Amino acid sequence: MDISTEDLAGGITKVVLQGRFDTTGAVVIELPFNKIVTEQRKIIVDLSAVNFLASYGIRVLLVGAKIVKSKGGDLVIVCPDNNVAKVLKTAGMDALIPIHQTETAATAALAS
Amino acid sequence: MNSMSSLEARRLVLRNDVAELQRLAGWIEGFAQQGMSSDVSFAVQLCLEEAVANIIMYGATRDDRLEIAVELERNGGTLVARIEDNGRQFDPTRAPPPAVAASLEQAKVGDLGIHLMRSFASGMDYERRDGRNRLTLRFVESRPSPPG
Repeated sequence: MDISTEDLAGGITKVVLQGRFDTTGAVVIELPFNKIVTEQRKIIVDLSAVNFLASYGIRVLLVGAKIVKSKGGDLVIVCPDNNVAKVLKTAGMDALIPIHQTETAATAALAS
Repeated sequence: MNSMSSLEARRLVLRNDVAELQRLAGWIEGFAQQGMSSDVSFAVQLCLEEAVANIIMYGATRDDRLEIAVELERNGGTLVARIEDNGRQFDPTRAPPPAVAASLEQAKVGDLGIHLMRSFASGMDYERRDGRNRLTLRFVESRPSPPG
């Protein structure tokens, strides 16, 4: 699994995750991901290139969103309507973390 | 191609080591390439990852070495997955549903694996037999409506 970041306008940090976000993948990106959510306040986590998501991956996203929130920031997810989105919804994450289908919508949500 | 029977089975034996989950994923992907729909393939990978991860993380008492056997069998439009392990007795079908969190701050971290298994599998049965946990998951391929 791969993780990379990109600085967007308005102080937004985009975190791009790529690959299988299963237990094996989550262990790989957990530390760098936690570092980002500790340091940044406006975060878009882009799951467009994630082709698989299991509960350990959800745990990493949830812990990250909690950390950002506790520091007064916001974390939103970009995820197209696919099986990964279905996992997020089944796990009830859509009620806890805003999920947008496009980066444009996510950026607008963070700017408001 | 065997036109007389749609039965085919495969078996994989894993140890209770988190690194084994990667081997499991690769093994299922190989099976999935033989004409499984992408939705069923995703569901099978998710449910087996959750079931086996649970056994690896919580099935052993102290440093016991566990044997986890995973079997996939296709029978017509249904894929059957069996997971058998010699770990401590655990019936995931009786696990309570996760609590619904009122807010991000109050949300509990964890306890989602079994809920995902229930949601993504078409059916789930458990039995304890000869000191082993035996979990059976079924996945039904959705078929296009017949013509006419």
